[in-house]
Amino acid sequence: MEILAYTLISTGLIFFLGTTIGLLRFPDFYSRMHAAGKGDTLSTVVILLGCICIVSTQGDMSWLLGLKILLIINFIFIGSPTATHAMMDAGNKAGAEPWRKDSK
Amino acid sequence: MVLFALISLSIQNLMGAAIVFGAYSFMMCLIWAGMGAVDVAFTEAAVGAGVSTVFIVSTIYNTSATMRSRPGGMAFKFFIGVVVTLAGAFLLSALTDFPDWGDPNSPVNATVVPYYIENSIDDTHVPNLVTSVLADYRGFDTLLETTVVFIACIAIYSILRIETAKSKTDETEEGITSPPSYDPSDSLIVRQASRFMIPFMQLFALYVIAHGHYSPGGGFQGGVILGASLILLAISFDLKFLLRHWREKSLMLLVASGVFLYAAVGLACVFMGGNYLEYGILDSILPGDQAMARSHGILLVEIGVGITVMFSMVAIHINLASNGRFDRGL
Amino acid sequence: MLLVLIRAVKGPTVIDRLVAINVIGTKSIVLLLFAGILFSQLEMFVDIALGYGLLNYIVSIAASRYYQHRKSLEPVHAQQGGQPS
Repeated sequence: MEILAYTLISTGLIFFLGTTIGLLRFPDFYSRMHAAGKGDTLSTVVILLGCICIVSTQGDMSWLLGLKILLIINFIFIGSPTATHAMMDAGNKAGAEPWRKDSK
Repeated sequence: MVLFALISLSIQNLMGAAIVFGAYSFMMCLIWAGMGAVDVAFTEAAVGAGVSTVFIVSTIYNTSATMRSRPGGMAFKFFIGVVVTLAGAFLLSALTDFPDWGDPNSPVNATVVPYYIENSIDDTHVPNLVTSVLADYRGFDTLLETTVVFIACIAIYSILRIETAKSKTDETEEGITSPPSYDPSDSLIVRQASRFMIPFMQLFALYVIAHGHYSPGGGFQGGVILGASLILLAISFDLKFLLRHWREKSLMLLVASGVFLYAAVGLACVFMGGNYLEYGILDSILPGDQAMARSHGILLVEIGVGITVMFSMVAIHINLASNGRFDRGL
Repeated sequence: MLLVLIRAVKGPTVIDRLVAINVIGTKSIVLLLFAGILFSQLEMFVDIALGYGLLNYIVSIAASRYYQHRKSLEPVHAQQGGQPS
């Protein structure tokens, strides 16, 4: 069980590293938002699943704690992509130009 | 965290500064959580990184969004810089006189704290020491803090509120019978996601208020989260949608009723024969012995604080976002 | 997380900063849970993390609504009445 937890957490951290590199290197803010929204949510969900595995191996009221962490996963899973969608909508309405390959 | 503060001061675009200020607030919360002060961290996360940033955004929405640079030239700025540095150095030099962090021989830890640690559970049956000190041993302070929040809400209301004759007829004719009309360019996804999250936020906030005896939380944090859920309703739907359900008069009455509940509990103690806010006297009308009566008294008082804080947040947001007119807004 | 902060500083438009703060907020929930595991008192920190996850969402939505109403990314100078559309 512990090995599963550590595997999940390290996978989540690798995803987060990819998100950060994408956030720094993409040319336009729409593409940065792709990296941020998808990668960030996925890495957080995976890390928190690892935390549930850690919690279930120690302590006695661990099912309640696991349920609460499951609730956090639920809210992040629904809330963070919606926030990304709202920001992209705002950027679209405010008139930011998407990057094209040939323009500067 | 110092990095965040410096960044937020140096961004000229006020919206960017406001957003980074929210992140700075959350870094403070992490520092306090690292120190072990969990209740304070919860309050800072709820207020500073949540509701306060929304207030600043609403204010910028109604005013301009750049910083105007002051006239005065370099000499004036240098003078101000020297004065501020001197004052800061003076305050920081007083820090060396403090006892070490966590020192068991410092005046607070040696005399005051052991009394609370030993006697709080026997006196009040409340394991969370912060809640019992805040609402029972130092109950007057919490009463006056609630009054301060109430006064802040009234101050913003009285400064900003504009009553025009047109808005009154608008509200009575179209307010109740017209179907809800959303801006068609607004996003459906945000509305549906908010519609999912708001009941859970309110349930979680009620849990935080009621469970304040055993876990970090209490009245203030739960009240802020409840207010934030109604502010989310106002942001993701229209402001008029919120005003249709919570009229202005009922909002103001409910803000006052929280403080009234707190003070009334104190008065009930006086009527039963004890001192003001001495909950132990209430054990003849509340179930349980004297210690349980204190626990129930703390719960009632926390509910009062939560009600006042919740409706204060909502009223301040409506005032700020619609510039006092109470019809349109952010 | 410090790398994300660089984007918050550099970001040529303001919405870049908003995206960076959203990412920092989500990762800070994870940091709070790790702090709870380290202190081995996870019950307290789960409540704070749950509360902050809900509030992070509100800030993002509020700032996006501001830009949806303003319809321009440039900062707006003070107009005569100061009223939006």
